[in-house]
This record gives sequence, structure tokens and C-alpha cells, in this order.
Amino acid sequence: MDTLAEVAERVASHSSRLRKIAILAGYFRGLDDADLDRSVRFLSGGPAAYVPATATLFGDGESRTLSIGWATLRDSALPAIGIDADTFRLCAQEVGDLGEAIGLLVRRRTAGEPLTLAAAEQLYAQLYRARQTAGKVRILEHVFSTYRPLAVKYFVKVIGGSLRIGLQAKMVEEAVAAATGAALDEVRAANNRLGNLAVVALAARHGQLHEIEAELFHPMDFMLAKPLDSAADLAGPENWIVEDKFDGIRSQIHFSNGRVVIYTRGMDEVTQAFPEIEGAMQKVPGSGVIDGEVLAWRDGRALAFTVLQQRIARKRVSRSMIESVPAAFMAYDILLRDGAMLVDRPIEERRAILEDTFRDQPFPLMVSAEWDPVDAATIDSLFEDARIRGNEGLLLKRRGSLYEPGKRSGAWYKLKRPYATLDVVITAAEQGHGKRATMLSDYTFAVRAGDTFLNVGKAYSGLTDPEIRELTRILRSDAVGKFGRVIAVKPQVVLEVAFDGIQKSPRHKSGFALRFPRIVRWRQDKRPEEVDDLERVKALYESSMNLTAPHE
Amino acid sequence: MRIDFRPSGICLPDVDLWLDSTEPCPNCWISHGHSDHARGLHGHVFGTAPTLEIYRLRNPETAGASPECTPVEYGEPFEFGGARLTALPASHILGAAQLLIEFAGERTVYTGDIKLNDPLCGTPTILAACDRLIIESTFGLPIYQFLDREEARDRIVGFARETLDDGISPVFIGYPLGRGQEIAHVLTNAGIPTAVHGSIARYIPVYERAGFEFPEWMPYANRETAGKALVVTPEFRNYLEASGKNIRIAYVSGWAVLDNARARSGAEVLIPYSDHAGFDELTAIVEGTGARHVDVVHGYTEPFAKLLRDRGVDARAPLPATARGSVEQQEG
Repeated sequence: MDTLAEVAERVASHSSRLRKIAILAGYFRGLDDADLDRSVRFLSGGPAAYVPATATLFGDGESRTLSIGWATLRDSALPAIGIDADTFRLCAQEVGDLGEAIGLLVRRRTAGEPLTLAAAEQLYAQLYRARQTAGKVRILEHVFSTYRPLAVKYFVKVIGGSLRIGLQAKMVEEAVAAATGAALDEVRAANNRLGNLAVVALAARHGQLHEIEAELFHPMDFMLAKPLDSAADLAGPENWIVEDKFDGIRSQIHFSNGRVVIYTRGMDEVTQAFPEIEGAMQKVPGSGVIDGEVLAWRDGRALAFTVLQQRIARKRVSRSMIESVPAAFMAYDILLRDGAMLVDRPIEERRAILEDTFRDQPFPLMVSAEWDPVDAATIDSLFEDARIRGNEGLLLKRRGSLYEPGKRSGAWYKLKRPYATLDVVITAAEQGHGKRATMLSDYTFAVRAGDTFLNVGKAYSGLTDPEIRELTRILRSDAVGKFGRVIAVKPQVVLEVAFDGIQKSPRHKSGFALRFPRIVRWRQDKRPEEVDDLERVKALYESSMNLTAPHE
Repeated sequence: MRIDFRPSGICLPDVDLWLDSTEPCPNCWISHGHSDHARGLHGHVFGTAPTLEIYRLRNPETAGASPECTPVEYGEPFEFGGARLTALPASHILGAAQLLIEFAGERTVYTGDIKLNDPLCGTPTILAACDRLIIESTFGLPIYQFLDREEARDRIVGFARETLDDGISPVFIGYPLGRGQEIAHVLTNAGIPTAVHGSIARYIPVYERAGFEFPEWMPYANRETAGKALVVTPEFRNYLEASGKNIRIAYVSGWAVLDNARARSGAEVLIPYSDHAGFDELTAIVEGTGARHVDVVHGYTEPFAKLLRDRGVDARAPLPATARGSVEQQEG
């Protein structure tokens, strides 16, 4: 762990992507198989330790994260550090990263013993197994008082799952390829199939990448669609298959003779939230992996995402909830069927297997309808139909295309139009990453509510670099406070934002959050008093509910 | 002795003396040459010779007869306003001094900006026993601990050599007065060709007169940066980056303790060395003086005073905390 921490610090001290990869590859080369496995997991946000399912708190299936919260880490750190909780909070706030803060505070206070990757993994395994917070605190107290500050820093960062050293998962893949001499494409493809880069790294080292197969009950990466503004931009409309783009939860269902798990794109398991889908899938014979969308469904159409959201909010759902917001699964692709990988088969073939798999399966299982357009005008009218059905727009899938996990390759396009735009004012700004590391590129924004402003969302991009630079200058001079990486600013700068919907949100004081907000333009012509108000946000929310809300 | 803490400086009405006043006053003690301490057209100023020289350089309006300047030597007491005053070295930058004020049987020390560890350039701090201490707390949280002088020298020289070996020009971001000269001093004495930006170079003669050497330093010239280490001010970084030159940037500062200093400074390499005391140094200064009453000014005043109280010292922050935004801008 000491070496890994030093390597991570060196990676952080280079902004060049190639240098970062070279440093990491050099490190991987010198490790034996067991440490290669561990280090790749620690660096890529994989499981910190493999623990038999029965030994964890989480019942069946393995959880990918150690659920250890801020307070537990703080309570474990205080005895080793010898300061009070208020000072600790202030320190953590100044640092902006809990692992880094604890690492700084234990300097000159730990025994400074070395920590191997194997020993670190064992400590993580103990943390997984500890059933009570007190048990976790005991283990963490030991860590914080025993090992070197830098190892402590990264030990905590691994728990959080994000190292924040400017290292993306794709770069770790590249380093694995460089260190093992395997082709990057093959490493990526294997990782997309398996979703576990550590196993892929070992296979790459031993020339066994081709043996890596997707496994049931390990979520694969989803294929993604590129945005498209207009059907007129599409070359050869007749080469595309068209489906409605549903506004639900993109999900992957793994099933095998009665066992069913529903994974979301965040790789979370949401099976328990949708028992009617789980129950229906249990009756599907054989095994497989199906890609599709979980929807709230009534009277032959999908309900708004805001309605479905009430179902996700809780882990176990009541019978009345199932009746008032019925869920359905709209399948549109199949990746694995009865042991056969299908991702390298053309879409038409996969579609036939999917229809065969769901043949005679009753509601809530459905296969999405598809159309064969002949020209751009057909696509336009299909788009209007989709909107009338309450859907977001269209998905266009190229004929003959393969399923490319984790890619946004241009074999799929999504055609949608913004729901509405709002004029909002920036209330806080945050530094970006990589090229934008020195600029304030992430903005929290608010609408007017009487004399004050209430936040409704946060957006990352949409402006040009010169605009961001100029805004950074203005926002820094408007700063009124600082919380780690976030700067609170006087409400001055007005933006126009587009978004795909409005949902209720406890995160913002306004009670609402915009879905997928993006910045359309910087409204230098508008003053903060002129931005939209909370009433308009409420009205937009209510009109979306009326359009598709369940009939009470 | 009465002490009146004001945002523009500290007033000692019994002695008719101000400490580091940023607004004009009749008699002013200037602890060191940084502009948040040495500013304003006062009637009469006291400070060490290097401090007064820097004060005049930085405040061209003082070129005439006014103010009257009285240079003082470290460790040599003088009488003023019924008090006995003694300047003591403070390590911070060249000429930086604490002031010991003996009045009516009470000993008070005002640290100005101070560090306890030895500086790369400057005079090592000497502590004086006192009853009452007025201390800064720029880095008054326990996260702030810095490299010592030797470690900093090794890191600065190591980064410069390594980067030059890669065919890249190492760039050091340093503040115009203090850090910039320390870095240039280290690099030139290690035999590394070093070009120094004008706003840092203008104080090199002051340092040379005080006995610090900068063998074969060169002024920064835009067309001739290859094969050299560059020492520039924070403002100059944007220009260098935009110029597309083959550079790699290091930030030498107390703030470089934190990884988020990368985003703030735009530097890739962080060298956590400061001309201010780190947290352990600050508490060691308090203990070393034996002061029973401590007033904390500048920086993390409230939290540092609270930490001192937890250790049994009667400490307080007489002024409201500095706005967080401006602490970040402070030279550190």
C-alpha cells in the first residue's frame, strides 16, 4: 500500500495522460499476480476485498462498495489525531477530501509501520465483515494509528471508491495493456464483457483475454447512444431501425432459472424495488442478460419519470404503491442467452432471439416496438408520435450493428428535444478536472423565490473555454465563501439552461431538481432579478405530472 | 499596557506606537516588507534596515523626506514612548522581525509574520520570554506541516534537475518577495542555470547586500527559456502556459500541503514549504515564549485560539476572522 500510495502521488503530479499511464504501467509490471489483482482493484474502484456473500451485511450478492460514512471515519480518526470534532470538520473542509485530511492529520502520530497490499486487503475484508459500527471503528482506529500517513490517505480514498488523482478508468485499462503487452482493444472489450478490470489484467498478463466471457450476475457496461439534433443530419435514413426513447431507468436484467437481478447503469441492484418485474422474469425459461428500460406504465403508455421516481425511493415497496405506480420492463436488446454471447451478432439476429425469449410472456414484460423508416420525413413524424405517446423522442439503431458495451460509437443515436429552458442565476461554482482544473466550470444555479434564490440544479458544460475563463474571473471576484472545492458566489451571473424534466428533490431547498440540465448560453443581457421564479418551476413540474400522472 | 486591535493594524496608545498599520499613523513599527504590513505614508517608521529598504522600494511615494526612517538592529534595545523596544529575528523573509515591548513591568511580543524553522534566506528566529504574545496564524490548523529547509532545498533542486534532464524547463511559482528569492538562491547555488522574473529579481540586490549570493542568475527573457529553471510570480503562470513553452510547473508554498493547490495554482508538482510557521511551529512558539495571554491575528484566528485554549493557554482572537476568500490570496 505504501508503494501504491507513492505511485498514486506521482500519477497526481503529472497532468499528461501519457505520463500517468506510463507511471502506472511501470508499477504494474513489477507486481506479482496477487498484487496486480489488488492494485488494479484499488486504483479502479473495484471491490476492495472479495468476501463470500454470506459474510456480508448485504445478504445475497456482493456489494461493490464498503459502506463506511463520514462520521464513522471521523470518529475513528479523532483518537489517533487528538483534536476535537469541530477542528476536524474545519480541516476536512479546507482539504476537501477526507482521506487526504486524515492522512495529513496523522503525520507524526502514527507508528509508521509499512502496509502491504495483502495486509490492506485483509483489513478491507475485516471492514466488510464487521457488522456493527463499533467493530468498523476499531479496525479503522488501528489503521490510523499504525501505518504511514500516505498509506492512510489512500486506504481511506479506496473506501470512498474515488482516488481523485486525475486517473480515469480508461487510463487504468491503457496501463494494463501497456504493462502486459496485450492489445488495448482486447483489454477494453474483455473488461466491458466482464466488468472486473483486475481479472482482465491477470488474463492479459497470461495471454488469456480471449477466454474471458461475460458472467451472469456481473453487470456488463451498457451500450450508449450519441445525441442527434435533427433527423435531417442522418445519412441514409433507410439504414436505421427506429424505436421510441423511453424516459425510465436503463436496466440490465440477469436471469437464470428463477434467479433474477436487475442492475441499473450505476451498477446498483434495484431488484427489490420492482417485485412484479422480478416475478415475471422468474417465469422466463433458461438464462440470459437483457437490456432495456424499467418504466412506470398505465393504460398502454409510460408515465413520467417523476412518477416512477416514487418507486425507486424505497427499497421495499408496498402493495398500494405497486397498484398506484405499476412498473413494467421494456426490453430492447439481449446480450447473452443460454450461455451464448450475442454482443458480436448483428442487431437483427439479437432482436429475433429477444422476441423469442419474451414470446408469450405477459405484462409487465414487453419488447419495444420498432419501425423501418424510408426517409427523414418518416423519422420526423415518428418523433411526433413518440412525443404524443409521452416518450422522450427516438432511438435510431444502425442496421447490422453489433452491441458495443460501454461505447457511444455512433451505431446508436438518440433524437430528443429539450423539455423547456429556464433562466437561472449561478449561486456556487466548482473547479473542473483535467484541462479545466484551474477554471470554475461546474455551476450550481437557482431560480428566484421572493427576495431570495433557491437552487434547482447543477450543470457542467455547454460553454466555450474562453467563456468559462471569463466566468471564472467574475465568479472569483463575487466569492462570498468557500467549502472545499466549492465557492459560493453572490447571485450575479445569469444562464439559460435546457433540461429534460423536473423532479421533486430533497437535495435542494427549492424542493425541485432539473433533470439533465445543460447550459444553453450565458445571458449577459439579463440581471439576476430577471431570472425565472419558483412558480414557473412548479407550473412546469405540475404540467408534466398532469400529462402522464396516474388517474386517481 | 493597553492594546487596541483594529482591522488596519494594532495600536499601543500608552506608547503612541502602531504595529504594521496599513493606514497613515504618526509612529509605526514595520515587522517586514510584505505589502499587507508595510504600507502607508507614516510620520515615523521603525524596522530593520532590509525591511525599510524594501518598504521604500515598494512604496515610491515615500521617496521624499517623509517618513522619517529609523533602522534598528536585532537584539539591540531602544527607548520609545516610555517603553523599551527590541527587534528579534523572525525567519519569515529577509529583515523580518518580532518586536519585544517592555512597558510598566510587562513584556509583550508581537511576532509579525513568523516561522520557527530556519529559513532558506533570512535570519533564524530567536524567541523571547514574555507575558503576552500577539501571534499570526496563517497556517493555524493541524493539517499544515511543512518541509524543513534541507528537505525543501532537496525537492527544489531535485525537481529542477529531473525536469531539465527530460528536456523540459522547470518553472517555480514564488511570491515576488521572499519565496521567489529563496528559490532563486537555492537553484543558483546548486549550479542550475536560473532565469528570474523581473518582479522577483528587483529585490535580489537587497538580498545580496545582506550576504545571500545568487551566482550567475539571469533575468527572465522570453526567447531564452530552454535549458533553464524559471522563477516567476503566480500571475505570470497563465502567460507561460498560454505561450506553449515546454514547461513543467512546481508550486512552492504552505498551501501546497493540499492536493487542491494543484487546481488553484495550476502547478503539477507541489512543494510544501512556507515562510510562515506550520501548525506545530506555531504552538512551539507559544510554548517557547511562555506567554500566559495570547492574541491571535491573521489567518485561522478563532480555531487556532480555541486549540490553544484546549491546551490551557488564555488565547483569543481579538478581530473577526478574515474572509475565507482573502486568506487564500495571502502570501503563504
